[in-house]
Amino acid sequence: MCLSSSLMGTLMFVRKRSLLGETISHATYPGIVLSGFLGAFLGKLSLLSTLFLFLGGATLFAYFGLEIIEKIRNRLRIHFDAALCLILSLSLGIGVVFASRMQFISPLWYQQTQTFLYGQAATMNDAHVLIYGILSLFVFLFIVLRYREIELSLFDRAYGKGLGVPLLKVYRFIFLFLILSIVVGIRSVGVVLMAGMLIAPAAAARSFTDRLAVLLPLSAFLGIVSGFGGNYLSVLFSERGYHLPTGPMILLFAAIITFFSLIFAPKKGIVSRLIRMNRFRRRCQSENILKTLWKGGKKTSLSHQEILKWNALGPLRLKGALFKLQREGWVTKEGKGKVILTSDGLKKAEHLVRLHRLWELYLVSCLKADEERVHYSAEEMEHILTPNLETRLSELLNNPTIDPHQKPIPRGNEP
Amino acid sequence: MKKAIEIHQLSVNYDKTSALWDINVSIPEGSLVGIIGPNGAGKSTLLKALLGFVKPLTGKATFFGLPFQKVKSRIAYVPQKGKIDWEFPITVFDVVLMGRYPKLKGLKWYRKADKEAAWKMLARLEMESLADRQISELSGGQQQRLFIARALLQEGDILLLDEPFSAIDQATEELLIKLLKELKGQGKTILVVHHDLKTAESYFDQALLLNTSLVAYGECKTVLTSDNLARAYGKKGELLEEATRLSTAEKAGLLS
Repeated sequence: MCLSSSLMGTLMFVRKRSLLGETISHATYPGIVLSGFLGAFLGKLSLLSTLFLFLGGATLFAYFGLEIIEKIRNRLRIHFDAALCLILSLSLGIGVVFASRMQFISPLWYQQTQTFLYGQAATMNDAHVLIYGILSLFVFLFIVLRYREIELSLFDRAYGKGLGVPLLKVYRFIFLFLILSIVVGIRSVGVVLMAGMLIAPAAAARSFTDRLAVLLPLSAFLGIVSGFGGNYLSVLFSERGYHLPTGPMILLFAAIITFFSLIFAPKKGIVSRLIRMNRFRRRCQSENILKTLWKGGKKTSLSHQEILKWNALGPLRLKGALFKLQREGWVTKEGKGKVILTSDGLKKAEHLVRLHRLWELYLVSCLKADEERVHYSAEEMEHILTPNLETRLSELLNNPTIDPHQKPIPRGNEP
Repeated sequence: MKKAIEIHQLSVNYDKTSALWDINVSIPEGSLVGIIGPNGAGKSTLLKALLGFVKPLTGKATFFGLPFQKVKSRIAYVPQKGKIDWEFPITVFDVVLMGRYPKLKGLKWYRKADKEAAWKMLARLEMESLADRQISELSGGQQQRLFIARALLQEGDILLLDEPFSAIDQATEELLIKLLKELKGQGKTILVVHHDLKTAESYFDQALLLNTSLVAYGECKTVLTSDNLARAYGKKGELLEEATRLSTAEKAGLLS
């Protein structure tokens, strides 16, 4: 279940249509309730027949839901998300109303339909597992066998059409398998929480990769881990005497994985980004200190106070920055509490000034910017320009030697 | 010279309004043609009709004497840049590789040859260093180059480009034109929907001036005369646009 829902959920996720998954899952509920009525009417049924009855009702109404959504979109010109929310809440409401009637008609069947609301994995039996396993297998095979077509039709349908990809067929199958994976899932996690299993693994995996081909197996993996984790935790807690239903536990597990991915993922996680932002800021501060030392006179040493006059730092931070600069070999101590550029630091500072003045010249001569305003932009850019950009700038401006403020542009390093 | 594209009495309607009317053109092999016309003239529609995306009211188009379905592997299409979701999880390399789709077999996983061809194409368009970037991390010009690289990888004999020169930087524009001229030299037939009248004459040898119906087709010098341009860009087209808008709105019950 987790496998199929995370796979199909990922496809919806990359198309930014996750709300559709939630809507479909809610749309199945009236179908399930009506199946319950039918079951009550038919009397005693075998376990397998009961299962198929419910699956049938769910699937049928899922398709109804999709059709209605399309009709609303095309005829009534309502924004897509609004139409989805409408169907979503309407379905659940209708289902609940019918279900409450059934409570009095047939409590037995009522119980059955309620297990689909929040899922009841504990009461699933082998028949369930077999059928769901087979359905999940189909989903898996579909994605593996038709991956290229899926990728093309989701990313660039116009181009895919030009290549002759059978777009309509692909979309039909995608929706078929989406519905199947939802129908498979609602018995375990329930109608209300199903959307979570569609979205969470995909959202978590997205923090780790930029490629769909990696996103799919990764989110499948995370989905399966959530499945096992949720089950395990549920069993663990029940041994201690707390009864925690499996479905929501799976979802919670998935949600926790997602939460940690968003925060701690190596490249895209928030923590990682904050660290890099901070590092960049400190680099800018250090580089600005080097420039200050250069401007103060290349052979003169400056004290901390003198440096602080030109750089907006706290004195403690300055100490830390200077310590690092010294350790890296750009400055040395001279005299009492004063620092001076080393020969390497001199070259580095000159390079920064070069980038700064090149950029100013670029803005003024090529983009007709105001001489007074270019300084701030250059203050930012001097820390960012790569050697490649530097070469291109210099070539574009014909290896200039004077900047807009008539100050000399230091020569670059010869290649 | 063989006729690469023959369009015969092609008319296309959107609802009840005419997007293209009675287009008759014969484009020889090895031509670099700019499709020029005002907004709503049906330029993109012409490409879409050629590719079979829209069903024409009447008429047909053949490529090397054959219908589209029989030669579609020889035709490469670069759609307008607008409709792409830039946040889709896909890298530059992945996108270029899509051009190899017609050549893939079985499970359609990429082979070494496919990947090498893609690398060479990226190198040709000066984009190797960008291979692992997610597509939102590219500049406008780089994005356009990417989609052209993908189309070129198909190694088609006919290239259809929809507004490739809009919203790109000077350097990319120059690179693109050089590339297109190279391809023309190799005998490819190229149709480019172009929005900028000023550059049309220097970029293309031939022009197809369009405003729902064909105004003129031929060498740029003979086609882009002030007479023809007045006919194509004149005020008469505006009425059609206004009427079309009213028609759509009325039919959707939006007007009282």
